Amino acid sequence: MEYWFGSIDGSGVCRPADGGAPELLARVRSLATDMREFHPLTEEVIEGCGIFSDRREYIRRLREVTILHSREVIADAAQEKDAELLQMVRMLDQMDEVINLLTERLVEWYQVTDPSFSSKSRKGAGRRILPRITKSRSPPLRGVAREIEELGEARKRLATEVSRRAGGVIPNMSELVGGLVAARIMARAGGLTSLARMPGSSVQVLGAEAALFSHIRQGSPSPKHGLIFQHRRVHNAPREVRGQVARILAGKLAIAARIDFYRGSLDPDFVADAQARIDAVAGGVQ
Amino acid sequence: MIRIDGNLVSPGPGGVYNERMAQGYRVWDPYRSKLSALCMLDPEIDLTADMRVLYLGAANGTTVSHVADYVECVYAIEFAPRPLRDLLAVAEKRKNIVPIAGDATRPDRYAPFVEMVDLLYQDVAQPDQAGILMKHIPFLKAGGTAILMLKTRSVDIRQTPDEVFAETIERLTDSGLRVVKSCWLEPYHHDHAAIICVVDPTGIS
Repeated sequence: MEYWFGSIDGSGVCRPADGGAPELLARVRSLATDMREFHPLTEEVIEGCGIFSDRREYIRRLREVTILHSREVIADAAQEKDAELLQMVRMLDQMDEVINLLTERLVEWYQVTDPSFSSKSRKGAGRRILPRITKSRSPPLRGVAREIEELGEARKRLATEVSRRAGGVIPNMSELVGGLVAARIMARAGGLTSLARMPGSSVQVLGAEAALFSHIRQGSPSPKHGLIFQHRRVHNAPREVRGQVARILAGKLAIAARIDFYRGSLDPDFVADAQARIDAVAGGVQ
Repeated sequence: MIRIDGNLVSPGPGGVYNERMAQGYRVWDPYRSKLSALCMLDPEIDLTADMRVLYLGAANGTTVSHVADYVECVYAIEFAPRPLRDLLAVAEKRKNIVPIAGDATRPDRYAPFVEMVDLLYQDVAQPDQAGILMKHIPFLKAGGTAILMLKTRSVDIRQTPDEVFAETIERLTDSGLRVVKSCWLEPYHHDHAAIICVVDPTGIS
């Protein structure tokens, strides 16, 4: 039986493995343990080996190896090239939320200072009247409005950067739906690894989780599209074929994600084929 | 276990997750920790200083830190890198936690690190919770206890929590475990149940 610190044969003879924590870890990794035959360590076995002076020493040495392993796992995860993109997308979405909330609150405030103004009948009131508020007579109000505008600028820069990086990390997906949407889909799936393992049908409803679960639980109509609705091909498609476009696009995106994950380079033939297939259904809508 | 004014507490250095302190002890909030909730609902549950624990689904190590305050040592298995980072920080302060980066559905990958334990505690949000528990029964000492925290909503969203609960108990019994006790964790956690089992010596596995 093979254990982290060495092996023990049938007659209970213990052969310790050589080396420090890195060598022991490498050894454990190369082991093929069969749980049907495996006997976990017992105190008698550990003591019988005589390698460790006492229980504390045993745990201390064991922890050296497992902590080293954990650190490696963490470092590997951080090094995956989608890790930073993921954080950037999440930050972007959060910024949108914050900017909208702050703008809403700011308009409320502005209405008090200017009784003739009502945001009620104005479309897209928030962002459009921001420039007007920056010229308000109230200095604190003006100051906050300017800060929100600043935040909007930072958001714009971040969006550009997300798009740019998505082109490198997920080139095929970006080519299909644009970097921003592609990055959002990847972020919602929890990373490229999990997205590459997802079926197209799941990709189709990513971002429509609430509707999906109400469908499964209460039998309401199933959602046609989640995040991929943000792509112009889906939201510009005629109502009748919108679900169909979403389904085909999602299928192609799932394939694109796998190419991006396993190969990592742009496949122009695949993208061209996929575009043609989607256009055939969407009627070439731009 | 230690209780102060009806609160469950544990000894040990505080400040793991900004937990409240009471008379120098760390308050173990049953609304945050399912194990604490179980201990509140079932006063017979006990963690003792001579226990070794295999903890599946250690996450950020908040519950693990309380368990480690009571027992001899905890083998804490966690799969996801992000919470693993927090778990390592907790393990730095508590030398009786053995943090292991591993997938609870693949015990063969970390089996060489783990010894026989007195308590097998499982809190993983996975569909096949009963199956995962069964895979770890070889690590349980004779007479040891297994506690399964059943997240019914993670098992199957289409079934009612009661159906999932009944099915899981049936599966465990069929696999040769004896369910000693089981209860819902209301009012602390919704749609979560705790199932306490022992290995049935007469059972077929």
